[in-house]
Amino acid sequence: MKAVEIAKAVKEARITAVEITAKAIERVRRVDSEVRALLTPLFERALEKAAEIDRKIENNQDPGPLAGVPVVVKDNLCMRGLKTTCGSRMLENWCPPYDASVIRFLEEAGAVILGKANMDEFAMGSSTENSAFFPTANPWDTERVPGGSSGGSAAAVACGYVPLALGSDTGGSIRQPAAFCGVYGLKPTYGLVSRFGLVAFASSLDQVGPFSRSVEDLALAMNVLSRPDPADATSSRRERPDYTACLGKEDLKGLKVGLVSEFENYPVQPEIREALAKVEAILRGAGAEFVSVSLPATIEAGLPCYYILAPAEASSNLARYDGVRYGISAKTENLMDLYMKTRGLGFGPEVKRRILTGTYVLSSGYYDAYYLVAQKARIRISREFREAFGRADLLLMPTTPTLPFRKGEHQDDPIQMYLSDVFTLPVNLAGLPGLSLNAGYSSSGLPVGVQFVGPKWGEETLLTAAEAVERVLGKPACALGGE
Amino acid sequence: MPIGKDEILRIARLGRLFVSDEEIGPLQRHLNGILEHFERLKELDLEGIDPFALEEDTSGIFRDDAVAVWKGREEVLQQAPNREGDFFRVPRILEENGEEVLPGEGR
Repeated sequence: MKAVEIAKAVKEARITAVEITAKAIERVRRVDSEVRALLTPLFERALEKAAEIDRKIENNQDPGPLAGVPVVVKDNLCMRGLKTTCGSRMLENWCPPYDASVIRFLEEAGAVILGKANMDEFAMGSSTENSAFFPTANPWDTERVPGGSSGGSAAAVACGYVPLALGSDTGGSIRQPAAFCGVYGLKPTYGLVSRFGLVAFASSLDQVGPFSRSVEDLALAMNVLSRPDPADATSSRRERPDYTACLGKEDLKGLKVGLVSEFENYPVQPEIREALAKVEAILRGAGAEFVSVSLPATIEAGLPCYYILAPAEASSNLARYDGVRYGISAKTENLMDLYMKTRGLGFGPEVKRRILTGTYVLSSGYYDAYYLVAQKARIRISREFREAFGRADLLLMPTTPTLPFRKGEHQDDPIQMYLSDVFTLPVNLAGLPGLSLNAGYSSSGLPVGVQFVGPKWGEETLLTAAEAVERVLGKPACALGGE
Repeated sequence: MPIGKDEILRIARLGRLFVSDEEIGPLQRHLNGILEHFERLKELDLEGIDPFALEEDTSGIFRDDAVAVWKGREEVLQQAPNREGDFFRVPRILEENGEEVLPGEGR
């Protein structure tokens, strides 16, 4: 059932929130031993919260737009008094003293949080294999990865545990797993959704966003999530639209869709090319016009630019894990050893790699050659996108160059792993919104995703276009026999 | 110039990160691969770009400087790995002669 249908049925007392929650729990129990999307199930708490919703209904109170809708949230979103591990040994038993704002927004809207989803450690990775606890499997082929870093959230939606999930996206961590798991994933414009209580990775790039299996649910989630928040200094104060109001358009007349000329020769798997052509034909059929745009620096320099700036920010943000105030702590005789040993024990290989990369590019003698150049490249990339949006209302791009890869395939080759985000990370560098949608399945049954990218605050255009595609292709399918 | 073993250890110390002998080899290989990839940036024309120019108007983003009471102090302290009353306890910072204790030199 879609989130909108659940909320409606619960509000009309045709079904109780407890019944919906129990059904979701049953689904997790049946399938999750195979997929392992959840790090920490919160079943008892969820049933209690659902009972609260039902009491509100009985007392004729409005429980909110997500009344009784089960959701899962990525384990880098703080929930007061509950384990928030970030997929890391470092925070194995850490329980934050406050809720992330988006958690509060969800619960105030009547959503029932079913559990915390698995992720690459500190959101660093593209396969969810970097979780310190266990890898998550792709529900469409359990020998393959679900993408990452929000792989648990994407897999939970693909398996039909929940109609909505939250992830975070620093370089593609919502859109890439959405493509790999065959669901919708929206990375909002930088500043649209509060990050208060999101454990920081790279603060100039991080955004929280939703996964779903329906465009309408994605829009509904954005209505709940996109509130201005004084607790996050980067939260924009601009007025938010009703994101469901842009849906139900009969055609796309007047919409200009840009195709990036440099991507034509970029090595992308043929089934992804076919999916792009299919989506192009659907949009043309709905009356959209196509124009060619150029992003030369983006394709050339996006990846190195990102992999300088993101680790630089991460090395600074992760300095707080020092064994003193929270998290694990090594037993040592002096302070320097405490820092070094705690961090050596608590962080996994990818996090260590990024801390060292970030420390190196910021260190004396290398700062100008790396960090400063990357900062300039970032501005050049932002300008390229801005020019492109002078000609087009949205861009149609691949989400990833490949279909979901096998577990272990890129574990000893960081650059190959990083390349999985080559089409998503420039969008974060420019602070733009990006939406990955399912455009069918490969001959071997793997989901194939494509991406819409919009100008700043252009979420409505992305949703309108995604709905036009959904109308032709139907809702993405549910994996492992779910509904 | 590729990064050698000593350089890995130097950076790791800057980042306050212990790396074991087994970790150094892969880290060195991976980091050199990543740095090689960064060379692509040098081909880009970045003439005249101010790296810290703000592309957007950021005026009026400040909230009121209002005091709000937060009662989570005890919850924060409960998470401390080593607590003494209302303090976080840490190991010795200075030796008796006033010098900073270096890693591996603790007793």
